[in-house]
Amino acid sequence: MNNRSVKLTRREFLKLLAAASAGVTLASCGGGKTPISDQSQPVTAETQPEFPKATQQTNEKIPTQGSQPTQSEALQPTQQSSMEQAYLSVVRGNDPVAITMAAMAAIGGIERFVKNGAEVIIKPNICTDYHTYEYAATTNPQVVATLVRLCFGAGAKRVRVMDQPFGGIAKSAYALSGIADAVSAAGGQMEVMNQNKYVKVPIPNGRDLTEGLFYQDILDADVVINVPIAKTHGLARLTLGGKNLLGVIANPGRMHANLGQRIADLISLVKPTLTVVDAVRILMDNGPTGGNLADVRQTNTVIASHDIVAADAYATTLFGLTGKDISYVQAAADMGLGTLDLNSIKIEEISV
Amino acid sequence: MKPEIWRRIRQAVQILAILLFLYFFIQTNSLSVQKTWSVLFYRLDPLVALTAMLAGRVFIPGLALAVLTLAVTLIFGRVWCGWFCPMGTMLEWLAPKRLRKLLTARRQPPPESWRLIKYFLLVIMVFAALLGNQSLLFFDPITIMTRTMSSAVWPGLRYALTQSEAFLYNFMFLWGVLDTLHNAVISPLFQEVEAVFILAMPIFLFFVAIVAFNWWAERFWCRYLCPLGGLLGLVSRLAFIRREVDEECNDCGLCSPTCPTGTIDPQNGYRSDPAECTVCYDCIIACKRQGVNFQWQIPAWKPAEGQEYDLSRRQALEALGVAVVGVALAGVEPITVRQPTTLIRPPGAWLTDFEALCIRCGECVRVCPTQGLQASLFEGGWANIFTPMLVPRLGYCSYNCNACSQVCPSVAIPPMALEKKQATPIGLARVDRDRCLPWTYQIACIICEEVCPVADKAVKLEEIKIVNTLGEAVVLQRPSVVKDLCIGCGICEYKCPMGGEAAIRVFAPTDVSSQGGLLQ
Repeated sequence: MNNRSVKLTRREFLKLLAAASAGVTLASCGGGKTPISDQSQPVTAETQPEFPKATQQTNEKIPTQGSQPTQSEALQPTQQSSMEQAYLSVVRGNDPVAITMAAMAAIGGIERFVKNGAEVIIKPNICTDYHTYEYAATTNPQVVATLVRLCFGAGAKRVRVMDQPFGGIAKSAYALSGIADAVSAAGGQMEVMNQNKYVKVPIPNGRDLTEGLFYQDILDADVVINVPIAKTHGLARLTLGGKNLLGVIANPGRMHANLGQRIADLISLVKPTLTVVDAVRILMDNGPTGGNLADVRQTNTVIASHDIVAADAYATTLFGLTGKDISYVQAAADMGLGTLDLNSIKIEEISV
Repeated sequence: MKPEIWRRIRQAVQILAILLFLYFFIQTNSLSVQKTWSVLFYRLDPLVALTAMLAGRVFIPGLALAVLTLAVTLIFGRVWCGWFCPMGTMLEWLAPKRLRKLLTARRQPPPESWRLIKYFLLVIMVFAALLGNQSLLFFDPITIMTRTMSSAVWPGLRYALTQSEAFLYNFMFLWGVLDTLHNAVISPLFQEVEAVFILAMPIFLFFVAIVAFNWWAERFWCRYLCPLGGLLGLVSRLAFIRREVDEECNDCGLCSPTCPTGTIDPQNGYRSDPAECTVCYDCIIACKRQGVNFQWQIPAWKPAEGQEYDLSRRQALEALGVAVVGVALAGVEPITVRQPTTLIRPPGAWLTDFEALCIRCGECVRVCPTQGLQASLFEGGWANIFTPMLVPRLGYCSYNCNACSQVCPSVAIPPMALEKKQATPIGLARVDRDRCLPWTYQIACIICEEVCPVADKAVKLEEIKIVNTLGEAVVLQRPSVVKDLCIGCGICEYKCPMGGEAAIRVFAPTDVSSQGGLLQ
């Protein structure tokens, strides 16, 4: 690059510096106190109308992953173009809020999924009211709350969080898991699932199930974010994104007789917009209900993807397994609902 | 003050008291038990206090408040019955008032001697309690109210409302309004549980029968049957304030038909028995000559005169005899030596002298978040009618809950910290291999293992590779219960997908530990 073609005025340089600082702050700033909505706007080319030369020059090399960063790129570490976004992100770090935000940023930002005025439903795993979140039986409340904040940052009209616990009372489960408080603080609404709102819906692509009783609001929502916590499970071996969808139907007990195919059939109807696997803590034994801290492993990881099959497939590796080992992951892949071949997709692994 | 005003005050107190009773009933669910208030009416009930402490041979501090009721009765007479008792208020409201005069003209009231039934019953109950037995406590009026509400009226109302709601949910355009109504009204009132009760009909009919007797004589229950009324009546004979007739009375006879307990005796100068008078003020309002009023007995205080229907010494001894015979027969029931197979008591019941302490009130049934606790009929024997039992197929013992132990007025279910409750078995589960899907039908399941709440699961799975009936090689997981880990909560039985009886069931607990003998 000769200086003539990339000549920067002082004004432009200062703007670049400000943008870069904001980007670095975005990536590193965690904590619950700073409202995410102030920071969730990623720096894109559109917000930099004054930055002229690099994007206007058509003979400028388009940056690809792995190539030497150009001078301009080095100053904008968070600039994302659609060609850079990952298929699946895996972020590791000590702060659940930071790693969730980074995981979302890496796959294109929440704006890729949540548009202005969207009706969002977040479906975490709140399976019982027996234990607090340290026992890794329920989704990490900070992961859920971060997603709530991100959704509002993208202009969501309403963000509701719900699950149908199979043990104990829903209200008590919402409170004990810590999710109720975290969601309220983030401006979201917990909703106790109302038995009246399950409606019979045909599953046109179902290979085993031809119809099911689905929660109408979840089918109607603009965005469904599936937020499982990775745990062992007696029948399924692991309960991940696919298994988490059992909270969407009225009669989950009917699935076990042919769990793999039936979960795949559910996925084919529900098609969650986004799957974020909470692996901050994972449950290594006595899942899905847990209760023994010795069974919990702190893996400090969040996995995000639009593809539920890929997300689950990656999550299995935390237990030393592969996607093929889990019946519903394989069944969903067979139906073309996603890919479990981790080598065929762009995975971004980040440490925060 | 004019008697009409007193009657208004009385009616206001009645309304407040019954609203209070209903408020405590509705407000007491598993997430909001406040023992101080939730069972206030039991804490004020001297019959319950007396029999529970006698039968349990223990002082129950929570019930000591009943002394207040006795003190008030000693001063004012049977005001509990006329002003405060929710049963009395219901009976007063559910009575053919306008037809009262017609009825008394046409139909003969029951004989006066029947008033001794309540004293007879009282003596039996108190003496049986002395002998360690509270089988007849289900005749206490507050227990009747709670049982009827918890097993019949409240769930019936829930059904009616939720069915209507479900119908309206067919119309999607109403969902916004319906959701709001559901969250604001239905959910707080009924706690999202489909409450079903085995004995709803008989418990309701028991209450209806008591109300129906009102058509024979007003406040029939209060006059002839109520053992608490009997106890308060005896104390009222000593009351400091009693109804008196003075020389203004000209025998016009206007007062006697107005008396709800029919205690004004035309043959005896229109005087009344303070043991029967519920201080309603109706007679004073009817009298045109101020010939009737309530008077202080002090300083010329003496007990009120006895009545013909009072228990004679012989009858009192007969009542003692009946108590002795009854308790002896209760001792012949098999439950005294063998646990019934499917009788599962609330957690901690095996740690106390449960059948002796239980007052058969149904508060635990009320508060159970899954409504798995039910009133039993004969499961515990004839002597334990209406004691509670867990029916896991209808509702499991929720792992994170100890509401029943918090609410029990007589400490029959001892208050237990959650951790202790979670470690105290109430039963033992068993897989019926002949019914279980993987064991018999080679169909995958393991829901029982999945839902088992203990940290080291009490249901373990064994994997087996078989060729199934369709010729496919499959890996099946089959459940078995580990005895020392199972606490008998019953969620496995509740969630088991088999039709009808579950393939994994909870039975009476079994103790073969080195300390064995805690359970029979």
